[in-house]
Amino acid sequence: MARDLSRLLEHPAIWRGRSAARIRTLPTGFPALDEGLPGGGWPQAGLIEILPSCFGAGELSLLLPAIAAITRRPEARWCAWVAPPLQPFAPALAGCGVALERVLVVKPQRKEEEKSGIWAFEQTLRSGACDIVLAWLRSALPRQIRRLQLAAERGATLGVLFRPREAARDSSPAALRIAVEPAAGGARVTLLKSRGGARGAIELLFLR
Amino acid sequence: MRHRRALELPFQESTAAQAPQQPAAPRSGDLLRPPAGGPDRAAAAAPAELWLAVHLAASPPQPARQDLERLGARAQRLTPRVSLDPPDSLLLEVKGSLHLFGGVEGVSREMAGECSHLRMPGTLAVAPTPLAALALARAGRMLGVPASLSAASASLVVTDPAQLIGKLSPLPLATLRWPQDTLDRLARIGVRTVGEVLRLPRAGFARRFGTAQLQTLDRLVGRSSDLKDRFEVRARFRRRRELIHELESHAALLAVLEPLLGELGEFLEARQCGVLALECRLRHRAVPPTRCVLRLAAPLAQPAQLAALLAERLSALVLPEPVRACELRSGPLVPRVLSSGGLWQPGEQGGGAAAQAPELIERLRVRLGAGAVQGIRTVEDHRPEAAWEVREPVNSSGRDAGRALPADAAPAASWPPVRRPFWLLPKPRQLDERDGLPRRRGPLRLLGEAERIETGWWDGGEVARNYYTAQDMRGVRLWVFREREPPHRWFLHGIFG
Repeated sequence: MARDLSRLLEHPAIWRGRSAARIRTLPTGFPALDEGLPGGGWPQAGLIEILPSCFGAGELSLLLPAIAAITRRPEARWCAWVAPPLQPFAPALAGCGVALERVLVVKPQRKEEEKSGIWAFEQTLRSGACDIVLAWLRSALPRQIRRLQLAAERGATLGVLFRPREAARDSSPAALRIAVEPAAGGARVTLLKSRGGARGAIELLFLR
Repeated sequence: MRHRRALELPFQESTAAQAPQQPAAPRSGDLLRPPAGGPDRAAAAAPAELWLAVHLAASPPQPARQDLERLGARAQRLTPRVSLDPPDSLLLEVKGSLHLFGGVEGVSREMAGECSHLRMPGTLAVAPTPLAALALARAGRMLGVPASLSAASASLVVTDPAQLIGKLSPLPLATLRWPQDTLDRLARIGVRTVGEVLRLPRAGFARRFGTAQLQTLDRLVGRSSDLKDRFEVRARFRRRRELIHELESHAALLAVLEPLLGELGEFLEARQCGVLALECRLRHRAVPPTRCVLRLAAPLAQPAQLAALLAERLSALVLPEPVRACELRSGPLVPRVLSSGGLWQPGEQGGGAAAQAPELIERLRVRLGAGAVQGIRTVEDHRPEAAWEVREPVNSSGRDAGRALPADAAPAASWPPVRRPFWLLPKPRQLDERDGLPRRRGPLRLLGEAERIETGWWDGGEVARNYYTAQDMRGVRLWVFREREPPHRWFLHGIFG
C-alpha cells in the first residue's frame, strides 16, 4: 500500500512541499543532519552558505566527512579552498581521511583580495574541474551570489561559501543557508533557508 | 700486410700479441681497406648522398650562431637536409636537388649566391660524405682557393666515391680538426696528410689515437654512415592587424584578436605544436605600444583557451591611448602531446577532471600569480609547523585517477594519531596569561591532557612544548601550547574549526 502510494506520488503532475528536493546529494556523515537537509545530504551541485557565529565554530568539521568521502572516490575532482583565512593544516586533513592530492589551495593576492577571491571562486565553480569548492568571503552581493550559484550548477560543483554571521540579515539566492555555533562537544546547526528541509536547530557531535 | 711493412709503426711488435683478442679492429690490413667482413660501401658506383659543405671565411671573428642559422634557413631553399656544423660551417645534402638546379655547379652557384646575399663569403666543396666535403672546404681555404662568390672550384668537387680517397689523400691533417695533441703525435711519426694516416694499421691506430679518431676516418671515406642533425628553422607566429577605427574597449579588442588567435590555432595545429608564451602588442598613436605577455605552464594551442586567458590579461590592462593596431607574436613552438577527450562529463560516473584541471590552474595562475595555486602534503615531523609543506598540484589525469583510494576503505593509518586542528597559524601567537592560565577574549578552559612535543634539537628548530586543546568563552576550540622552558609562555598555534 505504502509502495503504491509512493509510486503515485512520484507522478510529475503532483507537487509536494519536499519534492523540490529531488536532487543528487552527498551524505554529510551526520545522520541527524542528513535527515534535516533536503534530499538527505549536501547538494552535489549548487551553492550553499555557512554562517558560523565566529571563526572556528565547527563549520569545517561539519563538512569534513563529506570532503573526505568525495576526495577518496576514484573519479574525484579537485577540492579547492579559495581564500582560506589561515593555512589548512595538512596532517589534520589527512587524519580525517581527506586525499591531499585532490586538495587545491588558492590564495588571492593581498591587494583587492575580496575581488580576486570572488573571481577565483567563480572560476573554480564554473570550470567543472572541482567536486567541492570552499570559499571564505567577507562581503558578497546577492547579485554576485546568484552568479556563483549559476556557475556551481554549470560546473556540477558544490560551492560552500563561508560568511560572517551578520550576513544572515541580507537575503541570498543560495539554495541552502546554515548557521553554525559551537556547542558542547560539537556544534549546533540551524537551517536558515532550505528548499524543503527541516526547521529548527540540530545538535551535532564531532569529538571522538 | 707484407707490402705495408715499411709504414708500420714502431710499436707494432708489442701490439701484435694482443691483437687476436680484438676482432673489432683486426691487426691485418690498414685503414684504407675495409674491416674484415665489413661491407665495402665506398665501392658503390653512384654515391648515395652528395654533400655540399660551406666553410665560412669570416675569421678570426667567427660567425655568430645566429648568422649561421640565417644562412641555414636560406639554404633550406636548396634542400630540406641542411645541418649546421658550428662554429663556421654548413652542410647540405644536395643529391636530390641536383636535377632542379642544374647539377653540382648550379647548386653550388645558388649556395654561393645565398652566401654573398648575407655578405658571408665561404668556400664551397662537394663530396659524397659530409666529413670529406668539410675537409675539402677547409683545405680549400687553407690552400688559398679564393672564397668564391660563384661556384665551388673544380678542385674541391668529388662526385665519384671511387675518387674520394685519391682526392682526400693530399689534404693536410689539420683539415680534420682533430685535437692538436693528436696532430702533434702523428706529425712526430711523420704522418701529415690524410693519405698517410689512412695507410696506418687500424688496430695500432685505434689503440694509440683512440677509436673516436678511427670512426672519424671511417665516416670520412664513407665506410660508416654519418648521421647529421637536420637543422630546422624555429618557426614563430607573428600577425599584425591594422584597425579601421581606434578601439578603446577591451571587449572590442578581444573581438579583433579572435581571428588572429584563430589563425594562430591553425598555424599550431598544422605543426602539432603549442606555445608557452604569447605576446600581444597593442599599438597606439603617440605612446609606445602596450605589451601583454602570456606565459603558460603547458603548451597550449586551442584558440578558445588562449582567448580566455588573453581576455583575463587584457581586462587587467590599462590602456594609455586608443589602440590603432594589434599584433600577436608567439614564443618558440613546443611539440604538443595530444590526448583523447573523455566520453563522460566531469562529475559523472567515470568522468574525471582530466581535461579541465590543468586549464583551471592555468587560468587562476595567469591572474593571481604562480604561487597563488598550491597543493599541500604532509611531512613526517612532530613539529606542527614542519609537518606540512606546499607542493605543485597533482594533475588529476587518468594516470593517477586509477589509484584513488576506495571510498569505503577506512581512512589510512592517520599520522599523527592525535587529533589536530584544521587551521594552523602561520606563527604561534603569544597569549595573555592570568593565574597560570592562558586568556584570549576571556579565560580559556583546557580540555584533556597535555601532549608533549619535544624535538628538533638536531636542526636548530628545537621545540619543547606542552600542547592542550582549549575552549574559549564562545566555545571555539583552540590548540594552545605552553613552553616547557622558562619563561613558560602560552601560545595559540591552531584552531580546530
